[in-house]
Amino acid sequence: MKSFAYASARSVDSAQQMVGDNGQYLAGGNDLLGLLKEYLVDPKILVNIKSIPGMDKIEPSGKVWNIGALVTVAQIESDPGIKKTFPGLAQAAADVGSQQIRNVASVGGNLAQHSRCWYFRHRDVLCLKKEGDMCYARHGENKFHSLFTGNNCISPVVSNLAIAFAALDAVAVVQREGQPVRMTMAELYAKAFDNPTAHNSLNPGDLILKVEVPVTRTHSAYLQTSEKHEFDWALVSCAAAAKVADGKLSQARVALGSISPVPHQVKGANDFLEGKTLDDATASQAADLILKNAKPHGHNDYKIPMAHAMIRRTLLKLNG
Amino acid sequence: MADTPAPELHWPKDPKYISQSTRRIDAVAKLTGKARYSSDIQAEGWLYGMILRSKWAAARITSINCEKALKVPGIKAAVTVKDGERRIHYYGEELAAVAGTSKTACLDALRAIEVKADELPFAVREEDAMKPDAPKVWDDTDSNVSKPKVTERGEVDKAFSECSAVVEGFFVTPVQIHHPMETHGNTVSWTDEGVTAYASTQGISSVRDGLAGALKVPNSQVRVLTDYMGGGFGAKFGQGVEGTLAARLSKEAKAPVRLMLTRFDQALAVGNRPSSFQKIKLGATADGKLHAFQLESYGTAGIGAGASSAGGGGGADFPAPYLYKIANDNVRVTQTTVAVNAGSARAFRAPGNPTASFAMESILDELAVKMGVDPLELRIKNDPNKERQQEYKVGAERFGWKEKYKKPGSSPGVIKTGIGLASATWGGGGSKNTRGEVQISPDGSVEVRMGVQDLGTGTRTVLAVIAAEVFGLKPEQITVKIGDTHYPPGPGSGGSTTCASISPAIFDTCTNALQQLQTQTGIADARGENWLGACKKLGVNPLTVQGKWQEGLSSRGAGGVQFAEVAVDTETGLVTVKKMTCVHDCGLIINKLTLESQIYGGVIMGMGYALYEQRVMDRQSGVVLNPNFETYKLTGLSDMPEFDIVLLNMPERGVIGIGEPATIPTASAIANAVANAIGVRVSSLPITPDKVLQALGKVPTAKPESVS
Ligand SMILES: Cc1cc2nc3c(=O)[nH]c(=O)nc-3n(C[C@H](O)[C@H](O)[C@H](O)COP(=O)(O)OP(=O)(O)OC[C@H]3O[C@@H](n4cnc5c(N)ncnc54)[C@H](O)[C@@H]3O)c2cc1C
Ligand code: SF4
Repeated sequence: MKSFAYASARSVDSAQQMVGDNGQYLAGGNDLLGLLKEYLVDPKILVNIKSIPGMDKIEPSGKVWNIGALVTVAQIESDPGIKKTFPGLAQAAADVGSQQIRNVASVGGNLAQHSRCWYFRHRDVLCLKKEGDMCYARHGENKFHSLFTGNNCISPVVSNLAIAFAALDAVAVVQREGQPVRMTMAELYAKAFDNPTAHNSLNPGDLILKVEVPVTRTHSAYLQTSEKHEFDWALVSCAAAAKVADGKLSQARVALGSISPVPHQVKGANDFLEGKTLDDATASQAADLILKNAKPHGHNDYKIPMAHAMIRRTLLKLNG
Repeated sequence: MADTPAPELHWPKDPKYISQSTRRIDAVAKLTGKARYSSDIQAEGWLYGMILRSKWAAARITSINCEKALKVPGIKAAVTVKDGERRIHYYGEELAAVAGTSKTACLDALRAIEVKADELPFAVREEDAMKPDAPKVWDDTDSNVSKPKVTERGEVDKAFSECSAVVEGFFVTPVQIHHPMETHGNTVSWTDEGVTAYASTQGISSVRDGLAGALKVPNSQVRVLTDYMGGGFGAKFGQGVEGTLAARLSKEAKAPVRLMLTRFDQALAVGNRPSSFQKIKLGATADGKLHAFQLESYGTAGIGAGASSAGGGGGADFPAPYLYKIANDNVRVTQTTVAVNAGSARAFRAPGNPTASFAMESILDELAVKMGVDPLELRIKNDPNKERQQEYKVGAERFGWKEKYKKPGSSPGVIKTGIGLASATWGGGGSKNTRGEVQISPDGSVEVRMGVQDLGTGTRTVLAVIAAEVFGLKPEQITVKIGDTHYPPGPGSGGSTTCASISPAIFDTCTNALQQLQTQTGIADARGENWLGACKKLGVNPLTVQGKWQEGLSSRGAGGVQFAEVAVDTETGLVTVKKMTCVHDCGLIINKLTLESQIYGGVIMGMGYALYEQRVMDRQSGVVLNPNFETYKLTGLSDMPEFDIVLLNMPERGVIGIGEPATIPTASAIANAVANAIGVRVSSLPITPDKVLQALGKVPTAKPESVS
């Protein structure tokens, strides 16, 4: 890695001042250290944000829970309140990496982590995402890649938490130019859908403060399939959440990970589920709607039937 | 003394420690970190060493300039692998190396080295390299494909026409990387007095000879030390380019240099198991006897394959037909190897065997299905080996084969279960050049010495167990000194021959020593409770006695049968191994506990071959795409099945060896179980969810299977 300055921030303001345009925030470091070691990022300064007080709390409330950006993935996984209120979120956290990673990985870092595309991560391959001139995955090894994208890069979003948050209609509160801005998960990643060099919609210096999770949806679930049973990235992940009363769904949301640069959500499918009683056929119809227009690239075609199964299973889990 | 013909030796009839379970005598040292592995060595004044590797899969290097690297603060030496023009054949090939006082300095220095090169076209995949117009991996050849190695015996075509059932299949196995826990590397000190290398090796003698040859230093001035090392699986017999570079850096910098590879390096340049593509045809007569066999195969051993390897070399040729008997030897085998621009293969735990086993055991199950017979019965009928006949019986009973076996695909529901089995054969046996030494001191302490290394298999403990047995002491009372070329020569740890080499040698050594102790002290039986008394009578000088490997205490021919039970999620394609029942024989068991560990390890590695592991080459950039454990996937704890290990102890056969047979049949048994569960076969390893879904016909737009 190249040399950089290092500073610990005591407040959100000082963090933003120090990080400037060429710095990077350091939370758990799980992602950032890997990027630095492979010379994939080149920050002038690392600003440790773990020293900012108050950002590591889970705050329950009757309407909206606040989850600080420095809350660890392990905290989410094991918090009894979250397990009860947002079981889908707890499960998404439990499926992140290994226990060691979950112990240090932060919510903010999990949401802001960079692409895992093996071309992007390779020190000697210069692809589109690194401002090279081509996407290697499209014509190369794309088994782990997206079925949907709005640009030439097919590297998917792989944050487990983003998928669960999307289904729960959670909002990230981001400090931008001295002001808090509220972004849905769709908004938090939108830029990556259109721009091959972006991993998310954050601008340099933007700091995720917390995530607000409304308690509207009484039920939630999360499932992923990986090649291994643990400590492996999802090939496809799926989260669903809804209010379930008398067996009927309302405000249902389904989101998928690892198949698009953004948490993949289809409004038509969510609308279709409104007022429905869940059974195999309904879940299957929803899955059809969600996967319509999927565009595979040769090695990732299997993700379509896999995702179909995952959507059905996740939805049926909402029945309790 | 050691060379006079010894009286015929026999293993003790009612041993106290042999064939029992003894905890590793170095367990505490390992667990507390007291054990110093090669990568822990901190020689006085040592420097870090690091290697600059080619970022091109094929290139002509015109110049390498290390001047700027030498100016980086902390850098003490920089050397090139070769000066002047040079051809590069694969991504990751070594170009130059630096030594410095910190890792950071070395990393900076590597980036300061100026390399001028002309990129050349390359072919990193077998199917690309085989095309007539493919770029040639080696300049002086006109094809990347070797001349076929052809074997033809019996009357194959006629025999097929006599068969009542014939099955055909095409099977693919990936390139697997050794990836031992400890990477390759050495600390080397080269001074005017000679060379001392602390090597992470499975062959201290071969590293000594290799270094002596490469550095042109007399053999006697090279000393190799390997106290503890973290695995090799066949890839660590030599000093490697990295060892020679460390020595040259040491000479230049006048300081010891520790040059351990990174995990990234490990994926590129220090060995792998060749791939295979096997078109196979098998027929049986109505009585279920195998009658005709045909195989056409190709595979790559990286740059170590193809035309320059003179027909079927490079390790991509494997035994065929594997293990089962074909009537009248009606066999036709055509094997070629393909050179690609990728790191060369090296011996890898049972070279050729898991590869051969996968296709053979798979096609055998296809035959069983076609003939409507139980796959177990088909094996019993065609396996000529008498130990395995016993193992089929014992294993089937333990595993509940008869109760569990159902027609392929008949398991109900979305998650289907299935079972499969496969067998292993291996030579093993001992090396007669093995010698040992024991020193008995007047205070009763015992030190056993041998120039062998512990690959992680429990070699130290084996020596202690045998010495303790002979002297009537406890294993923990024996001090074992190994891993030093100054000790009497021991074997390289390979071919599953270590135990069968060292056990007879140390048994002879200790038996000699006991006799001499008794003669010298006049005590008729110096063992056990008489030990201390006898030793005291030695006076001031310790007794040092040598011995050597003796005939009759070991033999060859280990085998085993493994049974697998799996569950396959037919909607997600995920395979879960539920249970492995492993029945193995390897003659006389020396230490049951470490022997079982070999089987655990073998099965875990075999599971990787079955389900997770595969080197992925990118045909556009020529790089290895998964040079890390994130995407080169290894079996993890949560993937483990329930294990049932059954060892058949056969003292009458002497010591044989187990390390390799333990891994041979695992992937085949699992693949057969998967096919039994879902009713269709995934004919390429690893069996990943995408391939399962594809085999089940669930991937509508599927193209022909990728063979990355
Ligand atoms: C081997 C491995 C396996 C993994 N498996 C999974 C998995 O299965 N699922 C999954 O979801 N993740 C997985 N991860 C990713 C891991 O969860 C993330 O790397 C981790 O959550 C990042 O958190 P961190 O606190 O360590 O972030 P850092 O590494 O500290 O930061 C990551 C990035 O986010 C930025 N950042 C951090 N905090 C903020 C903030 N508050 N506001 C704005 N930007 C910020 C940093 O500047 C940096 O660019 C895996 C990681 C590894 C190394
Ligand atoms: S998918 Fe994106 S990150 Fe991967 S090679 Fe293509 S452009 Fe690069």
